[in-house]
Amino acid sequence: MRQRRLRRGFLLVIFIAALFVSGCWDRRELNELSIAVGMGLDLSESGIEVTAQVVNPGEVVARGGSTGYSTPVTTLSAIDKTTFEALRKLNTLAPRKIYTSHLRVLVIGERLARHGLNDVLDGVSRDREFRSDFYLIVAKGTTAKNVLSILTPMEKIPANKMFITLGQSHKYWAPTVKVQLDDFMSDEANPVKSMVLTGLEVVGNSEKGRTKRNESRSTPYALLNYSGVGLFKGGKLVDWLGEEESKGYNYIMDNVYNTAGHISCPGGKELGVEVIRAKATKKGKVEGGRPEITVRLFVEENISEVRCKIDLTKQQNIVLLEQLGEDKLEGILMSVIRKAQANKADIFGFGEAVEDANPRAWKAMEDKWPEYFAKLDVKVEVDVQIRKLGTTSNSILERGE
Amino acid sequence: MNGSLDSRLDENIAAVKNEFGSSKDLATEMVSVGPGQLVRVSLIYMRGLIDAASLQDRIRTPLLTSVRVKSDDRDFDPVTIVRSELEAAGGWSRIDCIPDISQAILSGMTVIIIDGVTEGMAVDTKGGQERAVEEPSTQSVVRGPREGFTESAATNLALIRKRIKTPDLRVESRVIGTLTRTSVDLLFIQGIAKAAVVEEIRSRLNRIKIDGILESGNIEELIQDNTVTVFPTIYNSERPDVVAAGLLEGRVAILIDGTPFVLLAPALFVQFFQSAEDYYQRADFASLIRILRYICFFISLLAPSFYVAITTFHQELIPSPLLLSLAAQREGIPFPAFLEAAVMEIIFEILREAGVRLPKTVGQAVSIVGALVIGQAAVEAGLVSPGMVIVVSITAIANFVIPAFNMGISIRIIRFLLMMCAAAFGLFGVTIGLIAMVQHLCSLRSMGVPYMSPMGPFNLDDQKDTILRLPLSKLLARPRFISANRIRGHHDSPRPK
Repeated sequence: MRQRRLRRGFLLVIFIAALFVSGCWDRRELNELSIAVGMGLDLSESGIEVTAQVVNPGEVVARGGSTGYSTPVTTLSAIDKTTFEALRKLNTLAPRKIYTSHLRVLVIGERLARHGLNDVLDGVSRDREFRSDFYLIVAKGTTAKNVLSILTPMEKIPANKMFITLGQSHKYWAPTVKVQLDDFMSDEANPVKSMVLTGLEVVGNSEKGRTKRNESRSTPYALLNYSGVGLFKGGKLVDWLGEEESKGYNYIMDNVYNTAGHISCPGGKELGVEVIRAKATKKGKVEGGRPEITVRLFVEENISEVRCKIDLTKQQNIVLLEQLGEDKLEGILMSVIRKAQANKADIFGFGEAVEDANPRAWKAMEDKWPEYFAKLDVKVEVDVQIRKLGTTSNSILERGE
Repeated sequence: MNGSLDSRLDENIAAVKNEFGSSKDLATEMVSVGPGQLVRVSLIYMRGLIDAASLQDRIRTPLLTSVRVKSDDRDFDPVTIVRSELEAAGGWSRIDCIPDISQAILSGMTVIIIDGVTEGMAVDTKGGQERAVEEPSTQSVVRGPREGFTESAATNLALIRKRIKTPDLRVESRVIGTLTRTSVDLLFIQGIAKAAVVEEIRSRLNRIKIDGILESGNIEELIQDNTVTVFPTIYNSERPDVVAAGLLEGRVAILIDGTPFVLLAPALFVQFFQSAEDYYQRADFASLIRILRYICFFISLLAPSFYVAITTFHQELIPSPLLLSLAAQREGIPFPAFLEAAVMEIIFEILREAGVRLPKTVGQAVSIVGALVIGQAAVEAGLVSPGMVIVVSITAIANFVIPAFNMGISIRIIRFLLMMCAAAFGLFGVTIGLIAMVQHLCSLRSMGVPYMSPMGPFNLDDQKDTILRLPLSKLLARPRFISANRIRGHHDSPRPK
């Protein structure tokens, strides 16, 4: 009995001592951290330049805590041979430890993208502080450092703005692609599939865009604008897809949620449509040793704007419009497929469709897939259904006659 | 000598006075009866302990009127006449030694000694000031009886008897405490309470050897299971309906003279989260409120620990906008989060304790002043962050939701331990702390019954009354571990056919 009590007392003392001796290591107070919301990677002569966009919390807080003394974010850059070292080197510039868990965007400069991404991104995916819910973006025609330095009106933290805008534009306009880090890395590992990343460009005067004056004008000096989708082959940026082509890509990949477009009326002018639902399927087939792909696209749209004279109450007009829409979409899809084929980059995952259809035949084609892809016979079948006409039936142009 | 009465009255009175050290409140009245008023009778009582009306009606009046009238008889035997008068007036008991006389006087009786007789008589004239039956201050309900126990064991027993009208309700009385001689009653319903439990409590009460019992808390400490724990293992209540309900479930009640708090044993963890009102309001409402109580239990226990752990170790768990807001709040605060939390919690405990002791007029002001102004001033002085003030206030308020005050105390203590775990080891530490606490709880027993039943040893039947309160038609079985007889009643559907 006494033995047991002694042992218990001893263990208790040891436990409490352990508590005090170990203290609380790994403890980081909130005011010891610089929260990095945006990160940028650029190619430089002596390695890689890492830029971090860190928040000044005092400036960002909702209630009037802002002192006006500094900007809501600060951009810091450091150059070193590897990504991880450069990131650590940033700590010589920042007054607090750079904390990357809340990263929103990772911007990659175009030069670096063209040079090749595979080795650069490994450091980012390996570090345990990085989550995987941030987007990858390519800075089109400029450096990541430049992009991250632009201050944005309405949204105090530019990286946040980039994050939200990308989500929005994906949802309502469709020519952008949301790529998170784990998607990118898993697709990079797949030798058959090629990657795409959205491009972001700075429209306007970058110099002035970096200052606070950019926020205090109703028409800012510089704006961050998403445009185009970059085609990657083997981890290197090789080409840019235009707006229509990007939309085509999203159609094929079944990424379109809601977008707008127009059809040319039989008499000339345009007729605007709003796509409310789109569903695409890819089917592969191997015929006589040759792979074939059929892309079926089903689109439901509403008529959003009528600029020509056409009587919408007549059934055959609606059918005609649907036919025109199908032709147009076919054109768009074919143009992006051809562009990809020209670059020998299978960005759509057609290879996977062929593998699903005929794994044995796929084994033979696997190594030389880019060649096969370039000559691939792709059939595109589009079915457009016009659902609603909005709140008026015929436009004034039609009724006025 | 050695305590027995002398035949001379004056010797006896002197002996009694000596026993009491000539206390000023010991009254010795002299009355003369008999032919020619030659026989002296002495009434000895404690002034504050007797009921004056009773003394008058049952002793003085008979003595001074009837006895005198009858004393004109030649064969006056004072003893017989006095005895018969007292008997007509309400009864008497024999008393013949000094220690017994002292006990009788201290119990509120009046002792009558006649000159020349070596036997005394004691009449029960118990009285004294007693509080009226009023609403219990600590456990009030919106709907339900407003009677609360008082300090008199007789009144309290009556309040329970009024509610349980069966002869199976047994009352076993004993006196505990050599100097206070407090009357302690053991109540249980024969046939419902487990005989083993009753026997266990009986033996524990009998083992108590102490000079004074003043409150039920003393008894509670002396009979509770011998484990080192912060959690209460015996329930107490000021409400007769709660005690009656406990008795009906098969529990044992312990009434202690001098305190309105009655003990109920065995007690289970879930009992401390039940309130009498749960059974008087609708079942659905009661269930939701119970769920709220359990949520508040966790809030009160864990809120500061979570806050400290997450902002110090696991910032990646916080959504980004919230993180920025918190980071902005902590700008310029000189102390680490744990110190902030500890200091704020201690200040709240200080305010709470002070609030208990302040005179009523000042009390209101201080509570408002304390909570809001001090918190606000501390924030503006840059000593604590606003987020911390909110966390600490919510914690304190959630503590009051728990109906049993003694469980609230336990939670406050554990909260500090968990905060230390959180500060040292983050969420990992909180988890370890919680596991340790749960393991400790599951190892507790109350009078042999596992403390965490019906959740510990899981019992599906009894879940009907733990977190939810199912309608009475479904609650017709008594808790398995507590009672010997589980069938409560039958209930066909009350709906009209």
